[in-house]
Amino acid sequence: MDMTTILFYILAIAIVVFSLGVVMTANPIFSALFLALTMVTLAFVYFLLNAPFIAGVQLIVYAGAVVVLFVMVMMLFDLKQEKEAFTKGKFTGFLKIASAGWLCGLIAGAIYMSTEMVVSGNQILDVNKASTKILAKELFSNYVFAFEALGILLLLIAVGAVSISRIKGGTHAK
Amino acid sequence: MGTDFFEISINFVKMVAIFLLMVQLVPALVWVERRGSAFIQNRFGPNRVGPLGLTQLLADAIKFIFKEEFIPSHTRKFLFYAAPVMSLIPGALAFGSIPLSLPFHVEAFELFGQTMGPYRFAFQSFEMNVGIVFVLGISSLGAYGMLTAGWASVNKYSVFGALRASAQMISYELALGLSIVGILMIYGTFDFADMIAYQTGPLTFTWLGSEMTIPFLPNWGIFYQPLGALLLFIAMFAETNRAPFDLPEAEAELVAGYHTEYGGLKMNMFYIGEYGHMMVASALMTTFYFGGYNLPFVEPETINEILLAAGFSATKASLLTSFTFFLVLFTKLLIFLWIFIWVRWTLPRFRYDQLMDLGWKKLLPWALGNTIVTAVVIFVMKTWS
Repeated sequence: MDMTTILFYILAIAIVVFSLGVVMTANPIFSALFLALTMVTLAFVYFLLNAPFIAGVQLIVYAGAVVVLFVMVMMLFDLKQEKEAFTKGKFTGFLKIASAGWLCGLIAGAIYMSTEMVVSGNQILDVNKASTKILAKELFSNYVFAFEALGILLLLIAVGAVSISRIKGGTHAK
Repeated sequence: MGTDFFEISINFVKMVAIFLLMVQLVPALVWVERRGSAFIQNRFGPNRVGPLGLTQLLADAIKFIFKEEFIPSHTRKFLFYAAPVMSLIPGALAFGSIPLSLPFHVEAFELFGQTMGPYRFAFQSFEMNVGIVFVLGISSLGAYGMLTAGWASVNKYSVFGALRASAQMISYELALGLSIVGILMIYGTFDFADMIAYQTGPLTFTWLGSEMTIPFLPNWGIFYQPLGALLLFIAMFAETNRAPFDLPEAEAELVAGYHTEYGGLKMNMFYIGEYGHMMVASALMTTFYFGGYNLPFVEPETINEILLAAGFSATKASLLTSFTFFLVLFTKLLIFLWIFIWVRWTLPRFRYDQLMDLGWKKLLPWALGNTIVTAVVIFVMKTWS
């Protein structure tokens, strides 16, 4: 085994442990911190896979912004009642079993599909600086519609969130 | 990492040395901060311990180490211990990925009867070909240190300080990211070394199809993007939580913010984290807008040739050239660090709504406008020449 393989296995085990931590800790703040660790470790896996730009963006967007917001919001609330409401009752029990089944289906599907995937020669990107340029060219030519549509979706979400917060006066309430 | 033990060990030594450089600069900066603030406010500052109060630093370090290890009983122990480390690591990692000088070459030599091939060592802890994306990503993780410190302390002041700090960091990250897009479009790369290579020689640009050269100005980014440089500098102050943006630790309202409950070496680690962020910010400013380790009008080859002519071996000449340019970068870094200190003791603190308005309503639109104007100018230049 060479260095990359060993590093990959270490990171993969870390990801599994951290993501188990997300679902198995009772305290939501610890869950969120485990989620952050999962995101950071995933970013390092991207580095290993020679996709440094994706790794950096993963760090900036998911670990640096999204999960920070999760942690921030959870610090503001006392989540004891919600936790009890979510851990008891038949409906939530059904939801848990359903999501476990869904996850099993996803894993089985991923294993089944991955045997038929073959990476053709031109899909392996240049390791060096060109890879970011190739990514940008693909994004702004072949996938420009999906890219712009996602941008508009995000804008809609932002506008919606602002309008909901303004119903009660928002941050500048007088 | 390296192919043989010589390369691996040199790389390891380099990593440790650059980390120690960052950590050892902190006491010196604390001294400059205290003497500088005293100078600005017409006081004496520390002047009793040693010449010019210089050994005050040593006394401080001894005090930090021997202070009673006191932890309030109601805190969340594990996170309380983890938080200072979490705020120290991002700064150290980000500083390690910034090139501090030219790479140096070691010629082939004999060791234990084996020929060790020629090597090339970069003057930084590790090379990332997406330099700036990595630095932005890693330094955005600094918010976790503050958040966990605030939450683990179980103290209202700490939580408020932590919330303020992280809200401020996330808000200003947008302005920071956008303010450098313009200069990134001009350089056309994410790599620090390529950016610095672009900034060599006199100021040269294409104007209406003809090439213009201004011989008395260096080819630095500040002359292409003065607005971007200003925006980046302001956003950097907010990112480092320094005055006039130090609301997370506003004494009058929050005691000391997220590190209210900390003392001794743990408190010191927050300090090192803050100064580390300042060093990263200064290094980014120099790399983006002030030529990095370039010395205006002096080529690295000239210095290398002078050293070779003076009778140094090729390896030693290359090493000394790298070190010369490291000193150039270090001088620029110190100038920016002094500006950080200068501003802190000159400007009063913002109010919280003023801070958010500045970030979202002034810096962000200006940065967006700067990006669009730069894109249009680059497009026009490329199509009409």
